[in-house]
Amino acid sequence: MTDQNWSILIPEIFLFIWALFIFGLDLGIKRKNPKILGYSAMAGLTITGILLAIFNGGILFKGMFQSDQLAIFFKVIFIGSAFMAVGSSFDIASEKIRHHRGEYYGLILFSTVGMMFLSSASELITLYIGMELTTIPLYVLAAFYKDDKLSVEAGLKYLIVGAFSSAILLYGLSLLYGLTGTTDIVTMKINLSLVFLSYGKIGPGLILAMIMVIAGIGFKLALVPFHMWAPDVYQGAPTPITAFLSVGSKAAGVVAFARIFVNGLIAFASDVMKPLDWGIIVAILAAAAMILGNITALRQRNIKRMLAYSSIAQIGYVMVGMVAASELGIASVGYYMFIYLFANMGAFTIATIFNDKTGSDGIISYSGLSKTSPIFAAYMSIFLLSLAGIPPLGGFAAKYLVFAAGIQAGYTWLVIVALLTSVVSLYYYANIIKTMYFSAEEPTIKIHPSFPANLVLLISVIGIILFGIFPGPILDWALESAKIFAF
Amino acid sequence: MVPMPHYLILSALLFAIGAAGVILSRNLLIMFMSIEVMLNAANLAIITFSRFLNVMDGHVFVFLVMAIAAAEAAVGLAMIITIFRNRGTIDADKFNLMKW
Amino acid sequence: MFNTFFPILVLIVLATIIAIAMATVSVIFGRRTKGGAKGEPYESGIKPVGDTKERIPVKFYLIAILFIIFDIEVVFLYPWAVIYNKLGMFGFVEMLVFVVILMVGYFYILGKGALKWD
Repeated sequence: MTDQNWSILIPEIFLFIWALFIFGLDLGIKRKNPKILGYSAMAGLTITGILLAIFNGGILFKGMFQSDQLAIFFKVIFIGSAFMAVGSSFDIASEKIRHHRGEYYGLILFSTVGMMFLSSASELITLYIGMELTTIPLYVLAAFYKDDKLSVEAGLKYLIVGAFSSAILLYGLSLLYGLTGTTDIVTMKINLSLVFLSYGKIGPGLILAMIMVIAGIGFKLALVPFHMWAPDVYQGAPTPITAFLSVGSKAAGVVAFARIFVNGLIAFASDVMKPLDWGIIVAILAAAAMILGNITALRQRNIKRMLAYSSIAQIGYVMVGMVAASELGIASVGYYMFIYLFANMGAFTIATIFNDKTGSDGIISYSGLSKTSPIFAAYMSIFLLSLAGIPPLGGFAAKYLVFAAGIQAGYTWLVIVALLTSVVSLYYYANIIKTMYFSAEEPTIKIHPSFPANLVLLISVIGIILFGIFPGPILDWALESAKIFAF
Repeated sequence: MVPMPHYLILSALLFAIGAAGVILSRNLLIMFMSIEVMLNAANLAIITFSRFLNVMDGHVFVFLVMAIAAAEAAVGLAMIITIFRNRGTIDADKFNLMKW
Repeated sequence: MFNTFFPILVLIVLATIIAIAMATVSVIFGRRTKGGAKGEPYESGIKPVGDTKERIPVKFYLIAILFIIFDIEVVFLYPWAVIYNKLGMFGFVEMLVFVVILMVGYFYILGKGALKWD
């Protein structure tokens, strides 16, 4: 029994037990020491990371659960985003969430466990369960300020849209299962190819299935036209949760998409199968996401809404690498998400700290930040410039790789759209920097983040600069992870 | 025995009814029930495929989907109670504090 | 096909006829009274005490929500029970882990006081 290698499940099991432990700890300490829960959540995530480095590589349950390089790469992103979300939550946890801190941290960890399962799933049942385990805690987390109208409304909108999309996804998966008679993605690939070779065509069922799965995952990714929930939810949810949603949950959607489409349905991304080509559908959606996200972000006055539209645009860039469906394409997607983790988490962490201090999310209230808190203004500038893709920061290398993959795969028009919209995006990112540095208004606010938030910011800045100048190690790893798809 | 297309048509109809319910209804509870109908439509499709293709995976899938649907329902009901306490209504059109 | 469902068709037709017949007979031969006890929701039952559109305490919803969760988990016990002998010790331990996780949830609910009625 070579595949009964239980040890590869240890990181997930540990994190799950740790989350239960945090729930128990919350009961035990009776809300006396607010910080201990946060620190123990961070410690748990760190230990999970170490366990992941020790126990990896292998398959379990007859290939239902695979701990391959792609899974590990994305698991690092998930653990990182959860770590940073917890780290930036310390202030809100002691101020705004007095009574349910244990649930708050515990649910973040549960959601992370779901993401980790999802990234390892090479089979539809596991994939669906992983996706639900990711999103159900996030519904609750989005509505965590029970008395805040915006937060509850955000949670409710996320719940309705999320449940609706998961029903669509499930129906799509059921059709895929019916067409191939298997839930295993690799067997599915083989069966579909066999049917295609013997009949020369595959009926409308597969098109319907693909559209439903694209729609289902598109909702999770906030891909245009399935994006309408994102700005509202991002604005209303607690800011660290918004950050976690925009990085962790999106990376989970990306890996699910890669597993189903780039692995299972890869045969239907080429030109010869024109009517069934998912590549072109996704390319059009990506172009729409980049155009709509960037243009709408221009007129936002609220920083969380602006970052929401910016993240819609960013997922468009990621999808350029995805439709390339090549080794370079998947590697560039991985690298992009890795840099995006640092840049977006960093930007949202600043927004969290700022909101705690001032109670405002308006971009205008950032004016003059460079005079009172020069370090944080500099941090924010680095994050925003990286999101815009300015060299030598990480965002530039990421965009360059994605565009190279797109050109290599023949999607030149898509890359031209991406380049043009990147130029547009520079305007609204630079607008915040201008507000912070060159505003005539007298600065009043000085921010003092707590130690964990400082740590998160420091990690993000170092990550962006270091991996921007030396993209080698991460890129090699991402290329290694892309090899599992055997193009 | 009833042939396979009958089940699939029924499942497609249920799915369409559920989707229409979510889109057309303005009452959160009805919207939520419609989502459950959609999930059960998918369940019916899965179990049909499983039965007619003679593969057992589908049965497992359906059990797990049922458990997930229950978890989703619990969270959803709790959320609806919260928003009712917060706003005093469950009319979906009233939740428009955030607009671009 | 027809042979299998013919008895059901007969049943439907008979049931419809009888129902219509009974209603018609009571309309034709019945005596009519109005007002008094006839106007009450339960003619010969308990006197109504208030409107039915009353707010129910939210505690009931809480219990109901918790019930949904614990209720549906039983679904996993059925297939396990059917092939218990084949699974043997492995299945038993698996199910024990599952039930222990549920128990943790239960004790958490108790600890949070969600089941206290006041």
